[in-house]
Amino acid sequence: MWLVRLAIRFPKSTIALCSIITIIMTLQFPKIKIDTDPENMLSKDEYVRVFNDKVKKKFSLYDFIVLGIINKKDKNGVFNPVSLKKIFEITEKIKDIDGVIAYELISLSTKDNIRQGGLGEVLFEWLMAKPPSNEDECIFIRDEALDNPLFKNTIVSEDGKAICIFIPIKAKDLSYKISKKIEDILKFYKGGDEKFYITGLPVSEDTFGFEMFKQMAISAPLAGLFVFLIMLLFFKRVRLIISPMIVAIIVVLFTMGLLIWSGNIVHIMSSMIPIFLVPISVLDSIHIMSEFYHNYQLIKDKRNCILKTMENLFLSMLYTSLTTTAGFGSLAFTPIPPVQIFGVFVAIGVMWAWVLTMTFIPAWIMLINEGSIEGFKIAEIGNGILSKISRAIGKFSYYRYKLVIVITTVIIAISIWGILRIQVNDNPTRWFARGHRIRVADEVLNNYFGGTYPAYIVFDSGKEGVFKDPLVLGYIQRLQEYLASTGVVGKSNSITDIIRKVYYELMGGEPQYNRLPNNPKAVAQCLISYENSHKPDDLWHFVTPDLSEANIWLQMKSGDNKDMYKVIQAVNEFISKNPPPVELKLEWAGLTYINYIWQKKMVVGMLYSLLGSFGIVLIMMVFLFRSPLWGFISMVPLTITILFIYSLIGMFGKYYDMPIAVLSSLTLGLSVDFAIHMLQRVRTIYAVRKDVLQTLDEFFGEPSYAIIKNIVVIGIAFFPLLLSPLVPYKTVGFFMFAIMFTSGIGTLFIMPSLVISLKRHMFVYSESVRCNSLNCIITSLLVSFGIAFILHKYRIMSFHMLTAISIVIVSILTVLCNFISKRCKEGV
Amino acid sequence: MKRIVLSLILLELVGQVCAQPDVGEIIEKANNATYYQADDGRAVVKMTITDSQGRERHRELIMLRKDVEDGKDQKYYAYFVEPEDVRDMVYIVHKHIDRDDDRWLYLPSLDLVRRVSATDERSSFVGSNFVYEDVSGRGVNEDIHKLLKEDDNYYVIKNTPKNTQNLDFAYWIVYIDKNTFLPVKAEYYDDKDKLFRTIEALELRDIQGFNTIVREKAVDLRNGGNTEIVFEDVDYNIGLSDDIFTERYMRKPPKKWLR
Repeated sequence: MWLVRLAIRFPKSTIALCSIITIIMTLQFPKIKIDTDPENMLSKDEYVRVFNDKVKKKFSLYDFIVLGIINKKDKNGVFNPVSLKKIFEITEKIKDIDGVIAYELISLSTKDNIRQGGLGEVLFEWLMAKPPSNEDECIFIRDEALDNPLFKNTIVSEDGKAICIFIPIKAKDLSYKISKKIEDILKFYKGGDEKFYITGLPVSEDTFGFEMFKQMAISAPLAGLFVFLIMLLFFKRVRLIISPMIVAIIVVLFTMGLLIWSGNIVHIMSSMIPIFLVPISVLDSIHIMSEFYHNYQLIKDKRNCILKTMENLFLSMLYTSLTTTAGFGSLAFTPIPPVQIFGVFVAIGVMWAWVLTMTFIPAWIMLINEGSIEGFKIAEIGNGILSKISRAIGKFSYYRYKLVIVITTVIIAISIWGILRIQVNDNPTRWFARGHRIRVADEVLNNYFGGTYPAYIVFDSGKEGVFKDPLVLGYIQRLQEYLASTGVVGKSNSITDIIRKVYYELMGGEPQYNRLPNNPKAVAQCLISYENSHKPDDLWHFVTPDLSEANIWLQMKSGDNKDMYKVIQAVNEFISKNPPPVELKLEWAGLTYINYIWQKKMVVGMLYSLLGSFGIVLIMMVFLFRSPLWGFISMVPLTITILFIYSLIGMFGKYYDMPIAVLSSLTLGLSVDFAIHMLQRVRTIYAVRKDVLQTLDEFFGEPSYAIIKNIVVIGIAFFPLLLSPLVPYKTVGFFMFAIMFTSGIGTLFIMPSLVISLKRHMFVYSESVRCNSLNCIITSLLVSFGIAFILHKYRIMSFHMLTAISIVIVSILTVLCNFISKRCKEGV
Repeated sequence: MKRIVLSLILLELVGQVCAQPDVGEIIEKANNATYYQADDGRAVVKMTITDSQGRERHRELIMLRKDVEDGKDQKYYAYFVEPEDVRDMVYIVHKHIDRDDDRWLYLPSLDLVRRVSATDERSSFVGSNFVYEDVSGRGVNEDIHKLLKEDDNYYVIKNTPKNTQNLDFAYWIVYIDKNTFLPVKAEYYDDKDKLFRTIEALELRDIQGFNTIVREKAVDLRNGGNTEIVFEDVDYNIGLSDDIFTERYMRKPPKKWLR
C-alpha cells in the first residue's frame, strides 16, 4: 500500500517515471531480432535437430517449397505445348532466385531419364530438355515420366493433369521471401488454363511467422480498441478510462522492450505476448474503476476515495496478479525454449501491470480534476440493468444452491467425458484458417500427388557396401510396399526404386525385370550404369557413396502429428514382424517428423506445466486465505473453466495443438481471478456483517457488478479476433470469451452456493482463535507435493537458465505470499 | 612521304596478321595434341571422386585408344579394374566427328552388352565430374572460336557452341599452352556468365616424345565435387588391332593389353 500512497502523493512524478521507463524500453525496439522458424521450438542441440541436420548434409537433402501447376481444361492436362513451355520457363526463372539451390531443383526439365533407345539400346536423356512443340512430344514426356517410379506421383500426377516443382532452399527462413518471388514470376504466366499453387512446410511455417507478426500489430491494438469502446459504454468518462488503456500500452511496450533488450529473439511465440498482456493489464483497472465509482458516491473525496478503493482491492489484485504470474511463469518449466521465454516475459509483464495499476492509475485519477468525476452518479444509473442482473444472479445462487451444485456436478461429468475425447494433433498448415491460400494449395496438391510433407527413414548399417546386397534392398522395398499398402504414406522413394528402374531398362524394358537384380555385383553395376547419366549425384540423396547408409524419402499427404505417428507405428510394426536381414539402425528425420517431436514435447511439457501451476496456485490460495478449505473453494471456478473449455475442444473434435496448449496457462492465470476477488470480499464483508446471507447480499452489489463488467469487456472485446486469418489468434479470441464467461459464471453461481453449503466450516476460525494444525498439515503437504513435482520434472526434462530464474521467482513469490498473509492476519 | 606512310601501314597490317595466328589452327593443333597423340595408346586411369563433404570414391580403369584418322574418328576401350564389384565391366566408344558417338557397355554380372546412348556428350563419365566429352574430346566444328588474348605462355580462346541444345554450358574458355599446344585449363560458363565448372591439367610429362597430361582435375562449382585423374603407365604406338574395339572383346577382355 505504501506504493499506492506514494503514487497518490506524487502523481506527476509517478507518471513521469513511468513514461521515462517506457521510453527507455521502447528505444530498444530497433534492436529487434525476429525468428519465425517453429523448428526453434526445440533447442538447437536437441538430438532430433542435430540428427536431422546431419542427415540433410549426409544425403544433400534440403527443405523444399512445392510449386504445383495444374491444368484441368486441356484433355492432356499440363502436357500440352503451352503449359509445358510455361513450366520450362518458370523452372528456369526460379533457378535464378536467391536462396534457391538451382542444382538440386526437381522439375520436369531438370531431371535425367533412362529409357529404351533404339534396338538393344538404353538412353540417358533429360526428361524435358526443351519445351516440346507438338502434342505427341508432350504425351511422350508424360508417359516417360509416369514410367519412372521416381517421377510418378512426385513430379507428375497419375492423371497427367498436374506437375510439381520441388524447390530446395538454402534456409527455411528465406521461404516466405522466395515464395513471394515465385509469385512474382507466376504473374507473367497467369490468365491461361493453368492454376498455380505454392505450399510446403517451410512456406507454411515462414508465412505463418510473417503473418503472426502482422497480426501482432493488428490484433492487439484492435482488441485494445474494443476494450476501450466497451469500457466507454460502462464508464462514460474518456479521461478516466484512458488510463487503463495507457497502462496496457505501457505494459506491452515495456515487456517487448525488455525482451528485446535482454537479447532474446522474438519468436512467433513471443509475438503473442501483446495479445495476452492487453486483457490482463486491463482487468485490475476495471475492478478499480468499478469500486471507485461506487465509493465516490459515498466518500466524494478523490484522495480518500482512491485510497479506500485501493485498500479494498489491494490483496485481491496482488493475488490475482501473482496467480497469473505463476500460471505463465510455470511455462518456464516446459522443455521448449520459445515457450519458456514467452512464459517468463508474460509473467514479468503481469507483475509490471500490477505495479502500474498500483501507481499509475491512482496517480492518473489524482490528476483528473474533481469536476469531471462529479457526473459519475448519473452514469451509474444508466448501468442499472447490469446491477439488476447481478442481484438476480445472487438471489438465484444462494437460494437455489442445491440446484446449482447438482448442475455443476453434471457439467463436470460431461466435461470429463469431453476431455477424454481430446485428440492431440498439430500441423503448421492448420494454423491458417480454412480457405487461406496456403491451406488451399496444401489440399489441392496433396490430392494430386504422393504428398508434400517429407519425412525420412534413415538406415545405418555401420558397414560399407551393405546397400548393394539384394537381401537388404529387398527388405527396404518390402517396407515401402507395406507402407504403401497401409495407405499411411502417399508415396515413398528410395535407392531400390532407382536400381529397379535401371535394371529394368538395361534388361530391355521387359516387365519381368521390373525387380531388383539378384546379386550384389549386379546391383553395383546397375548403380555405375546410372552414374553415367547427367545427374549421377541423384543417387546420393538416397544412399551414401560407401553404401553403408540409406534413407527412404516418405511423401505424406498430411503434416498432422497423428498421421506422422501412424507412419511411425506402421514402420515399427513392420520391423517387429520382419526383422531386418542384417543389423540396421533405424532413425527418423525430416521436417514433418521434427514437428511431431516438438509438438509431442510441447503437449507433455504443457500438461506438466499446467499441473505444476495448478499446484502452485492452489498453494498460493491456501496461503492467501490461510485455510485449505478456502483455498480449495477458490480453485473451483478455475477447475471448472479448464474442464469445460477443454471438454469443448474434445467434443467438437478440435485438435489439442500448439496454440491451445499455450492458452492453458492463460486459462489458469485468469480463471482464478474472479474467485479471489469474490472470496476476499466475502471475507472482509463477513468480518463486519457476521452473517453469511447479508455478506452475499452485499457482494452481489458493487463487487459482483465489477466482475460482470470484466466478463463483458474482455469477453466481447476479443471477439473480433475470431476474424483473424490465423488460427492461434482465433483461438485466443475464443478462449478469452470462454475463460471470462465460464470462470465468471463459476464464480457468481457456484461459489455462493458453495459458501452457503459450507458456511459452517468456512467461517469457523474467525470466531475463536485456535491452532490450525490441520491447516498447517494440509498446507505443508501441498507445498512438499509441489516441490516434489518440480524436482521430478528435472529428471525427465532438461535444465535451462530460465528454469533457474523461475525457481528463484517462484520461491520469492512464495515467501512474499507468506509475508503478506502474515501482515494480513495482523491486520485482521 | 606518302609512300613511306603507306608502307608503314602495310607493314603494321602484315605484322598484325602474322602475330595473330588463325584460331581454328590453334584449336586443331590443341585437339590433336590432346586426343590424337601417336596412332594408338594405353593408360591406367586412376580416378578419385571427392564430393563436397570430402567423401572419396576410387575408380581404376585401363584405357586403350586407337585413331581411325588423326583429328577424326577414334575408338576407345575402357576396362574396369576397381572397384572390385565392377571389375571386368567394359565400355567401348566409337567416336564419330560427323554424327553421334556409338557407345557400348558390358555388364559382366548381368552378362549383358548394351548400347548406351545419350542425346549429348555431357553426361557423367562413370560418376565422376568429367563428362564424356572431356574424355574423348569435343568436336572442333561444334563451336565458334574466338581468341580472347594471348600472352607469352597461353592462347586464351572462347568457344561458343553453334547449337546450344542439350548443353549445360553457354560457352567455355580454354587456355592453351604455347609450347605443347595442350589445353592447361578450361572454364565452363552458364548463360548468366557464371563460371560453374573447371578442368585443369596438373601435370604434363614427355612420354615417348609426346607431351602428355598425366594428372588433371575437374571441379564442379555447383555441387562442390571434384575429380582427379592420374594417368599411369602411358604407352604410345603399341599396335592395337581394330577387333579389340568390338563386342567380342567386351566379353573376353584382351588380357595382353590389360596387364
